[in-house]
Amino acid sequence: MKKLVGALAGAALLASAASAQAEVIKIGLIANFSGAFAVWGQQFRQAVEAYQKVNGKSVDGNEIQFIFRDNGGADPAKSRQLAEELILREKVKFITGFDLTPNALAVSELITEAKIPTVIFNAATSMITRSSPYFVRTSMTVQQYVAPLPTWAVKEGGIKTAYSLVSDYAPGHDAEEIFVKNFEAAGGKILGKDRIPLNVTDFAPYIERAGNSGAQAVYVFIPAGAPSVSLVREFAKRGLKDKGVKLLAGGEVQEIFLPAIGDDVIGTISSAHYTETNTNPENVLLRKTLVEMFGKDATPDMGTVGAWDGTKLIYDAIKQFGPKITGDQFVNFAKGRKWDSPRGPIMIDPVERDIVQQVYMRKVEKRDGKLVNIDFFTSGMVKDPWKESNPAKK
Amino acid sequence: MLIFTILLDGIAYGMVLFLISVGLTVTMGLMRVVNLAHGSFAMLGGYLSSVMIRNYGVPFIWSTLAAALVCGLIGGLAELTIYRPLYRKGDLAQVLLTFGMIFVSIAAMTLLFGPTPVAESMPKWLEGQIDLGFRTYPAYRLFLIGVGTLLAIVLYFIIERSLFGARLRAAVDDPGMARALGINVNLLFTLTFIGGCALAGFGGAIGAGILPIEPFYALKYLVLFLVVVVIGGLGSFRGSLAAALAVGILDTAGKYLVPQLGSFLLWFIVFGLLLWRPNGLLPPKSAT
Repeated sequence: MKKLVGALAGAALLASAASAQAEVIKIGLIANFSGAFAVWGQQFRQAVEAYQKVNGKSVDGNEIQFIFRDNGGADPAKSRQLAEELILREKVKFITGFDLTPNALAVSELITEAKIPTVIFNAATSMITRSSPYFVRTSMTVQQYVAPLPTWAVKEGGIKTAYSLVSDYAPGHDAEEIFVKNFEAAGGKILGKDRIPLNVTDFAPYIERAGNSGAQAVYVFIPAGAPSVSLVREFAKRGLKDKGVKLLAGGEVQEIFLPAIGDDVIGTISSAHYTETNTNPENVLLRKTLVEMFGKDATPDMGTVGAWDGTKLIYDAIKQFGPKITGDQFVNFAKGRKWDSPRGPIMIDPVERDIVQQVYMRKVEKRDGKLVNIDFFTSGMVKDPWKESNPAKK
Repeated sequence: MLIFTILLDGIAYGMVLFLISVGLTVTMGLMRVVNLAHGSFAMLGGYLSSVMIRNYGVPFIWSTLAAALVCGLIGGLAELTIYRPLYRKGDLAQVLLTFGMIFVSIAAMTLLFGPTPVAESMPKWLEGQIDLGFRTYPAYRLFLIGVGTLLAIVLYFIIERSLFGARLRAAVDDPGMARALGINVNLLFTLTFIGGCALAGFGGAIGAGILPIEPFYALKYLVLFLVVVVIGGLGSFRGSLAAALAVGILDTAGKYLVPQLGSFLLWFIVFGLLLWRPNGLLPPKSAT
């Protein structure tokens, strides 16, 4: 009898040891894999798969398994339902992804209740991270990467007058606010500002208005993709570029969109938290891996780098706490953490759980027959300006 | 001078809408098929032309014509296999099936070409500016106005002056009577469908500088195309030209003069025009 009990206990021990060894840690990733925003899903997935190729699909023998879910548009109800399913049925330890703000905000109550740490790979509205203590963001906020642009334009770029053209939605309003504020604070003058409805397809009238104002520069903020492509093309075709008017932009001229705009885009100045051509070793590795895995045209963008860093943060936390890591352990681990991202040095704000990073001023050039952004100025570490000017707002 | 700029911009934009929508208005008016997938043919034309230019070095003009031809052939094939069984099924079945086809085309294009807009492929001679005396103006937009006008004239002769056109108009106005007079309406349907899809493909390819080609094209601009068809009057070729130009010019003027109105502007225009002419600007006889 004793022998039997001993044998059973031994077997049980073995079994539990074996399961401890081969634990599977599931990570949900919610993003748009179809529809108008499908580019985000593609970039997130490529980044995660590239990171796993470089760093392995397991941490200390525990398998890291990503579960991809398609949000299929700006659909908060669907996003919430997917998060619920991932938590209850798939028993995920983490949720990641989120390209669009409404989809991220929709899960905030759920992840707070379930204590599931959630890493935002893109969604850039400032207040998201305040909506749940379990949100951590590895991408950027709109005001963060726009803020240094107007200051540079006036102080270094010799631009004294500007016209602002932004899309008429929350991120556009955020961008306009910080651009105008910093441009005027630096001593520049805004000659006019228009808000462009999201459904506009022909941008000629807006470019014409901006051109007629006589401003030295036109600032644009518009969803990257077909709208930004049309707008930048129109800017060049109207001859504003030939008249010496500068175009100031941001995510509109990420490398991934440059071929679609064409050579007209050369000379455009933009600010961003990630420049695809930078020579940081992490970035060289990222680009090399992407090309190896997904072909020579695979190009990283803001989404790629947000997902790459988010995945790294989770890997590092699991390395420290093992497969039984709790939500609170992860969030505390993330707070104040610094590392070298493909974009450069970054840090997670210990209070806001939001990213702190440098912002780069770039210019579009043609190198080896390819349109690329080249850095020419780097700001210091930038915290999200919105949080600083709205210390208590949720 | 502002008025000329508004007119030029509005007409160029209207011409793109006209090129793509005219096929839709004729098929909807003639066959009573609600073909929501019409934009998919325009998108296909844009992709085909871009592939021909970038991968095979085909000159711009030839590539757009070839894209139109291929879109027409695919359209004819689709008419025989997919659309024909739909004619008797009623509006709802047509809307469901053709809307489904939009999603199929979006998924197919995402798979084949990726989710980002395709690389721009305008030839050098369309990139510059042309001096009009009172101002310089983008060559591409002048080209659009020229091509649109030329095509409108050609279509005018085909639809309003040829025997084919007379039969077509007869079939639009009263299909039953047309059949009784011995007109082969089925053949007319197929030919018209081929023509409509070819025009869509051509419009998509040539208008890519204003409406960039990307997988969501077919859905994103669907409402615009439908607006032109509805304002023009179902089945009316002249109506769709008038409607496309009206929408183009009014929308452009509004954006210049009262940008504060934002996205309501287009809907005010649609609302106003339909209140004034509920059957469209120039509806065919069958609708009045």
